[in-house]
Amino acid sequence: MRIRPLNTPAIRFIFTFMQQPVKTDSPTELAAQFRALADQWAAETGLFSFDYQRSRHPAYQQILALGPPAIPLLLQELQERPDHWFSALTTLTGENPVPPAAAGKFDQMVAAWLDWGRRQGYIS
Amino acid sequence: MPLEPYKEALLPNLNRAEYRVTSPETRRYNCIAWAAGDTTQWWAPGPEYYWPAGIPRAHTLTSFRALFAGMGYRQCATAELESGFEKVAIFADDDGFPTHVARQLPNGNWSSKLGAWQDIEHQFLNALAGSASIYGNVALLLRRPRPETAY
Repeated sequence: MRIRPLNTPAIRFIFTFMQQPVKTDSPTELAAQFRALADQWAAETGLFSFDYQRSRHPAYQQILALGPPAIPLLLQELQERPDHWFSALTTLTGENPVPPAAAGKFDQMVAAWLDWGRRQGYIS
Repeated sequence: MPLEPYKEALLPNLNRAEYRVTSPETRRYNCIAWAAGDTTQWWAPGPEYYWPAGIPRAHTLTSFRALFAGMGYRQCATAELESGFEKVAIFADDDGFPTHVARQLPNGNWSSKLGAWQDIEHQFLNALAGSASIYGNVALLLRRPRPETAY
């Protein structure tokens, strides 16, 4: 009998589900939770070039599972330690403020999201 | 100067004697942009990123092959240095999804932009490949006549 490998989409989904973050109403706890997840994601996916790889990491999925409270944390992170958080922001906000001509141009993408965040009152 | 240990740990076949870091860390371009000679933008099939017009925005080897075919590359059999040609190697994971692209230098070594991290020059493709590698294995080798102006 052939034993199927564990690394299947179904198993990955179950692991992701099992790793959902503990929801908290405390801004301090939420920020700490976010910090740990963001650090883990950066350390373990920095080697990846494609959002397909980076966005399926469990830490990334757990940040998405934090829901809208993660939006200001992501924008603050983008301000202080710019990284490729763009698809997470699009997923959580339903917006994409990056003009088509700036797609892929990292500094312009960061600036577009930070402008959007300021206009929306998420960051100062 | 070698990569930081936590980065090397993700690439267990990377032998310190056989690679060197050739750029600072940057998030402005990635491996496929670097292989295409572009250090101004991040290339990816996802909707947020640059992707050449006319190439399907799909994270597949077929799409990646089409992208490089548009730059004159055709499939080839070996990673050996061939006079008059430059080569790129496309890595893929066990599910067949592209994970990395490296390009061959005129001296036969390979140059890789490691995601959002540094560029490295490495002697062998296997330095980044293998069952324990985060990049999987080389799935496609392509070559084209080497332009007169190498980047």
